[in-house]
Amino acid sequence: MPPYKIPKRVKFRKEMRRARDRKATKANYVAFGDYGLQALEGCWLKSNHIEAGRIATMHSLKREGKLFIRVFPDKPISKKPLEIRMGKGKADVDYWAARVRAGVILYELAGVSEEKAREAFRRVSMKMPVRCRFVTRRVEV
Amino acid sequence: MQHETTTLIAERRERLGSRYAQRLRAGGRLPAIVYGHGETPIPVAVDRKLAVQHIERGEKVFNIEFDGRTETVLVKDLQFDHLGTEIIHADLTLVNLNERVETNVHVHLIGTPKGLKTEGALLMHPTTQITIECTVTNIPEEIDVDVSELDAHESIHASEIKLPLDTMKLVSDADAIVAQIVVKNVESTGEEATVEGQAAPEVLTEKKKDEEKD
Repeated sequence: MPPYKIPKRVKFRKEMRRARDRKATKANYVAFGDYGLQALEGCWLKSNHIEAGRIATMHSLKREGKLFIRVFPDKPISKKPLEIRMGKGKADVDYWAARVRAGVILYELAGVSEEKAREAFRRVSMKMPVRCRFVTRRVEV
Repeated sequence: MQHETTTLIAERRERLGSRYAQRLRAGGRLPAIVYGHGETPIPVAVDRKLAVQHIERGEKVFNIEFDGRTETVLVKDLQFDHLGTEIIHADLTLVNLNERVETNVHVHLIGTPKGLKTEGALLMHPTTQITIECTVTNIPEEIDVDVSELDAHESIHASEIKLPLDTMKLVSDADAIVAQIVVKNVESTGEEATVEGQAAPEVLTEKKKDEEKD
């Protein structure tokens, strides 16, 4: 298994599934960088999606700028193997995912021009399992 | 500083709650609440297009007409939708023009820092707005900060910002970093995995084998 991000320690080995179609009430604005990539739908974002997005940004920007990853895959997703009978308890953990609600900022970029950030996030959005859009810092009072 | 004060025509909201607020938004109105000066909070609705247009321009002080009276209000807080783009509610506080108020002001960085010539240097501005205390008539739209003399590994703190008027007072944390030049380690490839390959995380509530035997 490639070395994707997973938690160092957890309280429980497995977790219930819970809803994926909620709307974000927090983490829905650009907080650290200048530009962000926002998920427009809810999903379980796998650790390999997050890593693919990070690599796509690095390749696009050629290590220019600073990338902030705003999501962490801390939800264990279990899956039964193929051709196995139902029952006999909950299956083993298959992968780790981040719970993403509609509106959550996935990545942020600082120290690059808007043009470069747009191009980088355009490539990242192709790696994501949900529709995404480019956002900037919002008006604050 | 804001020169002309926009007047918003408001009507009092008789029916309250999210259902009626949604209907107002669908009809092009923006639900808001007016409070302050010891008065009972008054729920109102204003023209959404006009209000949002001026708020997005950075205006904070408005004249508001409702119930046959005109009051000066300051935009205290805004509520956004789940995508963080549409303003869905505004908090307006009653103010006098000569009253001293605390308000957030956007910090605008001017110039190209000389430290950016260093390889791997990045201009970061963790704090994009600072809180100041000033009279309502003197609220600046933004505060300009010259960063052209900023060198690598140097930073500008909120306390170092020169406020436009002497009567203005900084309220936010004086040590907050407004702009800094950080230098990334150029030698790291950025390709390597972010965390060492780990089979499974440690489970805190799992019983150890020795405990089970007991």
